[in-house]
Amino acid sequence: MEPSRAPDDVLRVEHIAKRFGPVTALRDVSLHLRKGEVLGLLGDNGAGKSTLIKILSGFQRQDAGEMFLHGRPYAPKSVDEARAQGIDTVYQDLALIDELSVYHNMFLRRERVHRPLPFLANREMKHEARRALDEIGINIPRIDVAVARLSGGQRQAIAVARTVNGDADILLLDEPLAAMGAKEGSMILDLVARLKEEGRVSIVMILHNYVHVLEACDRVSMIQDGAIALDKPTAETSVEELTEIVVNEYRRARAAAHS
Amino acid sequence: MANVTGGGPAQASSEVESPGAGPPATGPPARSRSGLLPSREVWRERILSLREGSIIVVTLVVATYFALNTSSFFTSANFKTLLPYFAPFAILGAGEVFVMILGEIDLSIGGTYLLAPYLFYKVATAGLPLVPSVIIALLACMAVGLMNGFFVAIVGISSFVTTLGMLFALEGLTLIISHGQPVATPGAQVHATTHNVTHVVNGVHVQLPETVNHISTFAKVFGGGVYSELVWALLIVVVLQTVLTFTRWGLYTVAVGSNKLGAAEAGVRVRLVMLRNFVLCATTGGLVGILEAVRSATVQPDTAGANEILFYGIASAVIGGTLLAGGSGTVVGALIGALFLGILHDGLTLQGVNANYLLFYLGLAIIVAMTVNIYVQRARRGHGSG
Repeated sequence: MEPSRAPDDVLRVEHIAKRFGPVTALRDVSLHLRKGEVLGLLGDNGAGKSTLIKILSGFQRQDAGEMFLHGRPYAPKSVDEARAQGIDTVYQDLALIDELSVYHNMFLRRERVHRPLPFLANREMKHEARRALDEIGINIPRIDVAVARLSGGQRQAIAVARTVNGDADILLLDEPLAAMGAKEGSMILDLVARLKEEGRVSIVMILHNYVHVLEACDRVSMIQDGAIALDKPTAETSVEELTEIVVNEYRRARAAAHS
Repeated sequence: MANVTGGGPAQASSEVESPGAGPPATGPPARSRSGLLPSREVWRERILSLREGSIIVVTLVVATYFALNTSSFFTSANFKTLLPYFAPFAILGAGEVFVMILGEIDLSIGGTYLLAPYLFYKVATAGLPLVPSVIIALLACMAVGLMNGFFVAIVGISSFVTTLGMLFALEGLTLIISHGQPVATPGAQVHATTHNVTHVVNGVHVQLPETVNHISTFAKVFGGGVYSELVWALLIVVVLQTVLTFTRWGLYTVAVGSNKLGAAEAGVRVRLVMLRNFVLCATTGGLVGILEAVRSATVQPDTAGANEILFYGIASAVIGGTLLAGGSGTVVGALIGALFLGILHDGLTLQGVNANYLLFYLGLAIIVAMTVNIYVQRARRGHGSG
């Protein structure tokens, strides 16, 4: 499936493939992201969504295929390099450091220091972190405690806040609602809606709940068996259609296994 | 945690930071800023939240015991014996803390401890000035650390195995280049001069010869002076604790030790962080080796002694509160751990414990003290199990 080439594509991915030894994670994935758009990335467990996110974020490199950022070739060699080009990620495992405080986590790899001295500007980071968390509306009573002492939802909120608070213009969110209760989850969805309204950032978001997908995303791309199986604006699809694709795939796989 | 976010003192002040915009219902009540000094409870919380807190208590108890029971313990003469004894452990422990925070261990410091003084001797006797010779020996130790880091972080061999191999290899290398013979440490020789000193005996002026020992300024600085090793230890502990608590180096070290994958995903260059900490640790081993060689004025190819000091160094770090599992640690703790070992060793010796029993008692005392340490820790955290 060839992606339509609109001039306002901020990110374009063409024929990406990735293997891990004998396992093919991504066969041939092409997708695109328009400016200010929220793209929902769907697919069953093991379909290759997280692998795609890790390639986009510079954590892993693809075996084949090309990527374009604002129309220019994009081949990040590291997470730092991707971030420097404006792509930042909330990983599925959150990439939080349990032993570090909330504010040190929020500023990891973006630390403020007392230039020209190498000492951390902790007071400044605390204030900034507090402001960013309050803006999202997540309740974190103390930001100088180790994140190990926080709940799953709070940890997730910190990971999201860290990424949103950077100056990236493309955000990759790998299951940002996974560990959250209903209230915290809707806070994150509100945040995504607010970012969409501001129009500054474009977002690729992996979600499992199709209701959330239809609510939060402009468009959906579904990865199945290492390739894109569906690419539609959310307005033109429904929970039923999305479910049916997945269930059909499951039935086909089971039939193949039994034959 | 405490050691990372400001070594404890930052702990209690957080509520002050949270502005009114935060949800007020769940946060602890904000403390007023009115008093010039924090209240007694704040200080209590600060001290108790120090990771080093419990070992400080245990060390004070042991020191008090010896002070009360051994008349010669609390004397300046004894402090002069005690100080050179514990300072090397503190320096080794300080370096080891950084590797242990990574969740790794470095046994090769016993090797750099043994090898560095011989390298120093070789280079100095080849004609180079003393200080550049020290620097070259330390650069060689850094290369050893780089190799350790390479095998652990890039090849992927466990640090225990890598550095054990390096320990044996370096000790063997030392035996090879030294032919198993001790040599005099360059620049550390004692020059005795005889002076005629005038005394007044029964109203008569008498001139009597007296011998005065001199050592060079180099020797005084690099371990020969009575307080030299102590000054080195304090300096290194202060610098390294600052690096650990207040710089990115420390932050990334904790990050890698706590969550390697997460740190990598956040963009921390994990291999670089591991490499530089192995370099740091191996270098402390070499420095202690040179200080000790200058202090004793001989370079000894004593592998058993090197292994012993290696274990005292690691023990200092562990006793001081650094976890073998990684993720957290404290340099100041290693200093106190070393002091604890020093006091115990010194106190038992002064009490006249038979040399054959000394190590046995030392071992038992370490286990007892660590048991007490664990209970003090649990008590201050307010829960019953570790």
